[in-house]
Amino acid sequence: MSYLKPNSVAEAAELLESTGGTILAGGTDLCVYMAEGLCDPETLIDISGIESMRGIRLEGDLIRIGACTAIAEIASSEALPTCLRRGARSIGSPQIRNLGTIGGNVCNASPCGDTLAPLLTLDARFVLRSAGGTRTVECFDFFTGPKQTVREPGEILESIEVPAATCKKASAFRMIGNRKGQAISQVNASVCVAIAEGRMTDVRVAVGSVAPIPLRLEALEGVLTGKAIGDVGLAEIREPVLEGIRPIDDVRSTASYRQEVTVALIFDALTACGDQASGEGDGAC
Amino acid sequence: MLIRFTCNGRPVQIEADPQTRVLDLLRDELGLTGTKEGCGRGECGACTILLDGVAVNSCLLLAGKIEGREIVTIEGIAGEDGALHPIQEAFLDVGAVQCGFCTPGMIMSTKALLDEKPAPEVEEVEEALSGNLCRCTGYGKIVEAALEASRRLVQESDQGGESG
Amino acid sequence: MNVIGKAVRKVDGPNLVSGRAKFSGDYRFPRMAYGAVKRAGVPAGRITSVDVEPAREMPGVLDVLTAKDIPGPNIIGVLPPFDQPLLAADEIRYAGESVVLVIAESAEIARRAANAVSVSIEPYEPILTVEEALAPNARKIHESGNVTCSRKLIKGEVEPAFARADVIVEGTYETSFQEHAYLEPETVCAVPGHRTTLYASCQSPFHIRGHVAANMNVPASSVRVVQANTGGSFGGKDDVATEIGALACIAAQRLDRPVMIAHERKESIVGSNLRHASRIRIKTGATNDGRIVARKIDVMLDGGAYASESPFVTMKTMIHAAGPYKIDNVEVKSTAVYTNKTYCGAFRGFGVPQVTFASESQIDELADKLKIDRLEIRRINGLRAGDANATGQVYEESVGLQETIKRIAEQPARPEQADSDRYLYGTGYACVIQGISNGAEGVDVIGASVQMSQDGSVLVGIGLTELGQGSRTVWAQIAAEVLGVNMESVSVRLVDTDAVHDSGPTVASRSTTVGGMAVLKAATEVKASLLSMAALMMQTEAENIELRDGFAVLKMDDSARIPTPQVATAAYWTGFPLMNLAFSKAPDANFDEETHQGTIYIAYNYGTHRMDLRVDTLTGDVEVLNHVAAHDVGKVINPLGLEGQVEGASLIGYGYAHMERIRYADGIIQNANFADYAIPSIKDRIPTVSIPVEDPNPTGPYGAKGVGEPPVAAAAAVFANAIADALDVRFTKLPITREDILDAIKRGNYD
Repeated sequence: MSYLKPNSVAEAAELLESTGGTILAGGTDLCVYMAEGLCDPETLIDISGIESMRGIRLEGDLIRIGACTAIAEIASSEALPTCLRRGARSIGSPQIRNLGTIGGNVCNASPCGDTLAPLLTLDARFVLRSAGGTRTVECFDFFTGPKQTVREPGEILESIEVPAATCKKASAFRMIGNRKGQAISQVNASVCVAIAEGRMTDVRVAVGSVAPIPLRLEALEGVLTGKAIGDVGLAEIREPVLEGIRPIDDVRSTASYRQEVTVALIFDALTACGDQASGEGDGAC
Repeated sequence: MLIRFTCNGRPVQIEADPQTRVLDLLRDELGLTGTKEGCGRGECGACTILLDGVAVNSCLLLAGKIEGREIVTIEGIAGEDGALHPIQEAFLDVGAVQCGFCTPGMIMSTKALLDEKPAPEVEEVEEALSGNLCRCTGYGKIVEAALEASRRLVQESDQGGESG
Repeated sequence: MNVIGKAVRKVDGPNLVSGRAKFSGDYRFPRMAYGAVKRAGVPAGRITSVDVEPAREMPGVLDVLTAKDIPGPNIIGVLPPFDQPLLAADEIRYAGESVVLVIAESAEIARRAANAVSVSIEPYEPILTVEEALAPNARKIHESGNVTCSRKLIKGEVEPAFARADVIVEGTYETSFQEHAYLEPETVCAVPGHRTTLYASCQSPFHIRGHVAANMNVPASSVRVVQANTGGSFGGKDDVATEIGALACIAAQRLDRPVMIAHERKESIVGSNLRHASRIRIKTGATNDGRIVARKIDVMLDGGAYASESPFVTMKTMIHAAGPYKIDNVEVKSTAVYTNKTYCGAFRGFGVPQVTFASESQIDELADKLKIDRLEIRRINGLRAGDANATGQVYEESVGLQETIKRIAEQPARPEQADSDRYLYGTGYACVIQGISNGAEGVDVIGASVQMSQDGSVLVGIGLTELGQGSRTVWAQIAAEVLGVNMESVSVRLVDTDAVHDSGPTVASRSTTVGGMAVLKAATEVKASLLSMAALMMQTEAENIELRDGFAVLKMDDSARIPTPQVATAAYWTGFPLMNLAFSKAPDANFDEETHQGTIYIAYNYGTHRMDLRVDTLTGDVEVLNHVAAHDVGKVINPLGLEGQVEGASLIGYGYAHMERIRYADGIIQNANFADYAIPSIKDRIPTVSIPVEDPNPTGPYGAKGVGEPPVAAAAAVFANAIADALDVRFTKLPITREDILDAIKRGNYD
């Protein structure tokens, strides 16, 4: 069993190619799989020490988030939109957030991952690095199924790009879990809207845990565009929301509950965006 | 693999499989059994330790990751002379300890909070301890203990005394 | 009183907060080996073959045991019918059943090797519900059939009383299984030698000693059980501690090496007892003035694969089902049934939470039908001193129910809420009765020891276990009070079956009441020695002297005093004994086996709860705004400890009523982990305020009664009643989850 600690992304990518080992970032998902006997890695490639993969930096018109940035840092960063901060804050517990990384949350690709819906609403892009080069994938195209993504075995998620302009939009995240603390989402929702002359433009709404992948609700986005937040009630959003989601019954919740609560969470998130825009809530950036 | 780190203020050098859980390293190799295993999945917080000052689940922390880093366990927070830390005293005075199994983890999470935020609000205490489960106490006295500890620590530092 | 009634720190507290206190998994012995079991994985069937070779071949594996390797009878069990094997030999009756034990150099190897063992099972169609179990041609889970046991309580005559009643209410209520979820999973460590010593996380060390010795086929006196610090038990570490204790001891003797067995969380949930699920039918008849004239109750318990404590849980549900009310005509039938699911046994409350939810729900329904205030109807019917309860037993003292109702009635009304568009508000009440100590379940015997050293410090020993409930501290307080010393000079030793008389299990809220009496007795004997010695030294009669503040003091002139250490040293030299081994037995129960009328419990604890809550009509989320728990505890010995018990028990009751459900699919538990079986986190806590009422109990030390269990039942029942008030919809099944609440709201079209 070997444990490798590359110092750079390039080195990590090379090692991944040559050893076919398993990437270890925070370990908060991987260690659970190992404990459950779901995997038994021969080789671990610990990327958590790679400096360039950590931190949040403004690069012109985009914000670059290193994939190994701890969830706790995401949760408290004033440089990031509210919805992403709140989503990060909803993950697990402080202990999990101190160790776990945003890259891990993304690559684990659980439909209930709390950073995923926010990233969808922020038009995030994922930078994938392999021994052969780099490519960038839109968040929208990244998730293909529960715990499945387009990331190839030889690729490492290096960083996440979020357009800096999203910081000027109002955004909010809401979730509900099977208890009030340290809960896995039964449903989560992220909303990100620009407000121009009191009306919503550039609307993004995404939900998690109600389909095999986190989903943009494009029908709802269409309904909301051009309206004032204050004019939108539960009745207006209900149909387009229910149309877009495919929740199931599972050990965590029921389909019918998820349907009802998704509507409520989106409504709450919209209200929060309205408060933010009028200066009442906490600021976006 | 040779792993070098600081544990409770002392340098440690140990030969270990890097895939060993730090929880087992502490309990089996270093004889520090104060850190407990409640679930092995990062879901209960009984194994909470401080890694470079922040609270983490040692059942999810692999030995290979702690090279060059600083670990503090429940055994490491008492004073030089063995005097209990104000957080420990507060837990006792308020009656926040019943079976005691969750207690080391609770105290470490409380310490992580108070080290960063000496005068937290109730919501901040709840957030900081949200990853520590307890089945005996109902949590009310644990919240009280954290707030009492913060009052005592603030008072101590106001009086120019040693802080935890 | 010097220390009784004072908020003192736990005597074992400093060790617990420093991490020094040793729990079973913290012991390290040279050459210690580790054990893990292979479990059936299938809920019902016949074992056709077992292949242990893949395990034996693994490097680091030391031994592999199956049923045939058990020297004594292959049985565990707390009670007759003792129908549970230590390791399954032929039949599998639940999916978590242990079949093979593997011992290895490390826990990791032991688990991997246990997984590698192959057990072939020809499956039967599992019996997964009580209906299936009782169906006419149902397969028999045990030789004796599918009914574990059944009991009846008959007081007066219910049918004529129903005929006389002005109003009748009927209903059926259900509760689901609940997991103990103590933070420390079950763990034991066995050390072989000319006697075997077992360090165990447990609550009944003497039971364990007896059973383990039998399994090992050795005399009980050759086994010593030491209770390690135990990380919570709540009734869950009885059967299973015996099971893994026996396995560890047998393996340790075979290998001549210490053996530790520590359960993983998943095993703790699937492999050890749960709270019985129940279906309860109640019919209540009352006259228009609100007086209940009759109750007829049928309790059906799903007890899982083995009997465990079902015989006692049926007894307890039967005795408590009618509630803390004066009712002349009561008929209760209580039955436990076998199913192919994890066996059910003791869990804090022990049947009382199930029947209290049912009974208190119906009391509300009765009040509504009669148009009488819900708290008032409880006051009208509530027991008073001198009343005969459901078993016809009359207590002249310590029936504090009415005072608890009064304290609750005095609470300020719930304030008017402005934001009622989105939220619904509700207030609920519930009363509870819970018998203290063993009652009809068995002989109620305790052994305790008190020893004073020449320096005046005191060591207390007892056969009951500290599980977190603060009993060590209570016993220390009693000894300190009697001997007039400060708390710092009192130590309580670990429970050791070598050291005191067999004391039975630590259950039924008996630690303070009966345990406390034994300590009181032992301390009083040592005090008598000291007074005799001091009398000689002061040249007066013993009755003129008292022990106080570390001195023997002449009552009429307290400047005449001798430090207690001096008296103790002198006593040692003169021949007055400084140690007493006391043995205390509570009065036996005495009742008719057919009707269960007679004297059963030495005392009962009574309580009344009120809960105010708020429901979010969009998400079903519940916020508990207020929770007041009034209990008559006889005498408060340690206020901090008492509050801790009431707060902790209440949250377990709240989890039971709202958040926790064991999910089965085809006999396999789907949520055997702490993420999906969600016990309350700190953010889910409820703002419990404890109001103790002191109505002294003549059978308890300083008048005290235990209160460890009753708040579980009352908190669960009051939650259900508060939800019913908020929604105007009554749920008859627990848990009432957020999903259920939102569902009911949507059907009621609240938006």
